[in-house]
Amino acid sequence: MSKQPSRGVDLSAYRVSRRRFLMGTGALVAGVACSTTPVSSATQAPAASAGTLEMAAWTIGPDAPSYYRRDNLISAVDPLNKALAGKPTIKLDATFESGGQWGDYLQKFTLAAEAKTSPDIILAGHENLAPWVGPNYIIPLDDLIKKYQSEGDIKDVIPNLWNAMKLKGKTYGVPQDTEARPMYYRKDLLAKMGWTKDKIDGLPDAVKKGDWAWPDFVATAKEAIAKGVVGPGMGWYTRTSKGADVYMFYYQNGGEMQDAATGKLVITKDALQKHYQVHADAVRNDKILTQAIYGMDGKIFDQTVMDGKVLFFNAGTWKWSDWQTTYKVPAQSLWDNVGFMLIPAAQKGGKPVTVSHPLAYAVTSNAKDPDLAFRLIANATTPDLNSRHSVTSAHLAVLTTQADDPTYKQDKFLLATGYMLDFTKFIPNHAKFGIYDDVLYRFLGAVEQGQVTPAAAVDSAVKELQGQIGDELIVK
Amino acid sequence: MGPAMVLVLVFFIAPVIITFAMSFTDLATSTGLSNWQWIGPENYARIFRSQFWLPILGNTLVYVAVVLAFNVIVGLGVALLSVHMEPKAGGVFRALWLLPRISPSVVYALMWTWAAASPPFGMLNYVVAPFGLEPRYWIQSDPWLIVIFINGFVGASFGMLILTSAIKAIPEDLFRAAQVDGASALQVIRRITLPLIKWPILFVLVYQTMSLFASYEYIYLTTNGGPGLFATETWSLWAFHSALSNYYGNLEFAYGAALAAILVIMGLGISMVLLRVFRFGQLVAEPRVEVE
Repeated sequence: MSKQPSRGVDLSAYRVSRRRFLMGTGALVAGVACSTTPVSSATQAPAASAGTLEMAAWTIGPDAPSYYRRDNLISAVDPLNKALAGKPTIKLDATFESGGQWGDYLQKFTLAAEAKTSPDIILAGHENLAPWVGPNYIIPLDDLIKKYQSEGDIKDVIPNLWNAMKLKGKTYGVPQDTEARPMYYRKDLLAKMGWTKDKIDGLPDAVKKGDWAWPDFVATAKEAIAKGVVGPGMGWYTRTSKGADVYMFYYQNGGEMQDAATGKLVITKDALQKHYQVHADAVRNDKILTQAIYGMDGKIFDQTVMDGKVLFFNAGTWKWSDWQTTYKVPAQSLWDNVGFMLIPAAQKGGKPVTVSHPLAYAVTSNAKDPDLAFRLIANATTPDLNSRHSVTSAHLAVLTTQADDPTYKQDKFLLATGYMLDFTKFIPNHAKFGIYDDVLYRFLGAVEQGQVTPAAAVDSAVKELQGQIGDELIVK
Repeated sequence: MGPAMVLVLVFFIAPVIITFAMSFTDLATSTGLSNWQWIGPENYARIFRSQFWLPILGNTLVYVAVVLAFNVIVGLGVALLSVHMEPKAGGVFRALWLLPRISPSVVYALMWTWAAASPPFGMLNYVVAPFGLEPRYWIQSDPWLIVIFINGFVGASFGMLILTSAIKAIPEDLFRAAQVDGASALQVIRRITLPLIKWPILFVLVYQTMSLFASYEYIYLTTNGGPGLFATETWSLWAFHSALSNYYGNLEFAYGAALAAILVIMGLGISMVLLRVFRFGQLVAEPRVEVE
């Protein structure tokens, strides 16, 4: 092969021989290797000194008032160390993420688990545990639960919540908190519409009994707009992004999400169509819900509802605390102007509904001592610690004994919303739930935007899910 | 050739091979690196079983074509304008156009989302009100407009930089000779400037085409592929959503790799077409001196 002819510029000064290049690259790699602490040895060393076990835990809000998810673990270190009497002594490095995104937090854990640098304890939503079981990022806890029944108050966890921690018969998490997702309403706006105080205060009970149902809800929102009490599209605000709340209206209409016997995901076509129809009617026919709700900035949502511009709005119980801390709304103002109730039944005489999303502590397969990691969680699961978290962040009790806890008993809001757990449903624990959710949520957006009718959305969504999930989907 | 080949192999060829190999597995969060299996072309079959692959492909082509046109035409326009200004004014003008590029992506995208927020919050609504336009939630009502502008302004600054340098490198004698011959400004641009910057224009076109095929960050940060049914979802964003962003935590790395592999094939095909259209071979051929 002939060499390229020179074009009149002497390039020899810029040329590097193969040998020099390889030597230079080798020296660079060696230099970088020597200057970097090996990650695995630094993070996986069981203990820096004899008799000390260093543990790590990751927790998240993202709502700021939920910091006791971290602090309760820290508070559990002392009682556990007393019980261990220095054999070994636990040192805990616990973190709490606030204001971030769930997706980023979960991705961070996945990457850390794969790199064997995950913490000993991870806090996550119950449904997040399902994809982590296959690759053994987390361990089953059934034997540990039996072995350490007397630690903390593990034995008094509300039985229904253990069901949300199970996948294929095994338990992978310890419930840390739960909540309900009420339909909030503005008392001041209902009063402007001519409602009496008794009628306003009696609304949650009427909804609970099934006497005040979805058609009444829609009629009231329309009336508020017609009377100029709220602006067009401001009769009802739903959740603005993906989340468990979306499925309240699917459950409201009799939907099923998971088959109890096989664990497969379920679509109930009739319920799905009614769920989509509720939103299509609200946005396009009755115009009680603004089309701009889909993807609306969460801060705009909160500011608007706290400014008293929307009659009904969906949010979790924890928002009661968040509105006070983040949006500086005085507690008394909330009590005077905002009420809360279940999602009304689809028809009179039906059953109202809400959705809960219990969070859980899980022990990772990277835990240096799984027994001690579990015992730390158990010691963080006590009526006083869980109650201080519940009261600060407006999350509901996970222990039967919290009902008698003095701190919990003093919280009017928690007592007033506790009954909602009798009506609650969960989203499924299934590794492919993310795909299921993505398809159903996008079609919900399409229905709200008028891109597709509810009936066509159901047909297309089912076809798409059958193509993507296959045998793991049951269509009813 | 040796060192260059090592670099190309390690940083270009190997990732493509790994991506293609991964696309024939079921690697996901739910399998981890320990439990994955070879599943043949199932991920590709799954892509084409989706009723959305064609609309998303259409979105991708529209996105690349429109934003590319915006980038090149506006970039060229700004370059021509700025070189015809006083040098200092031209510098300030170019610096202003560079702002979108030098701003951190997240900050720049957030500024757009705040400006285009739902009424009564979005600043954009106050700007367009004097023109009789109704206030709206722009990201939802006109998502493509937002996607094109947000990407277009960033890309235009790139074209402007490259093309300004190219225009300034043209020997002054040619422009003076044209002026002596009585050529108008438009004739100078058409007969002298454009033919002499054909190579930089090709570079901008090919580079930007490839960049746009692979870019999704501004769409992700503004519309996130919505509203509704993949209205602004592009192929690279689909790959990102599948492989690296799942609200409920099960990241489908292999499915995302299959989507990325198709993107690589599309990118290669379009590069070949562009290089042929612009006669790349002739542009880089050895200059010949013809003696009569």
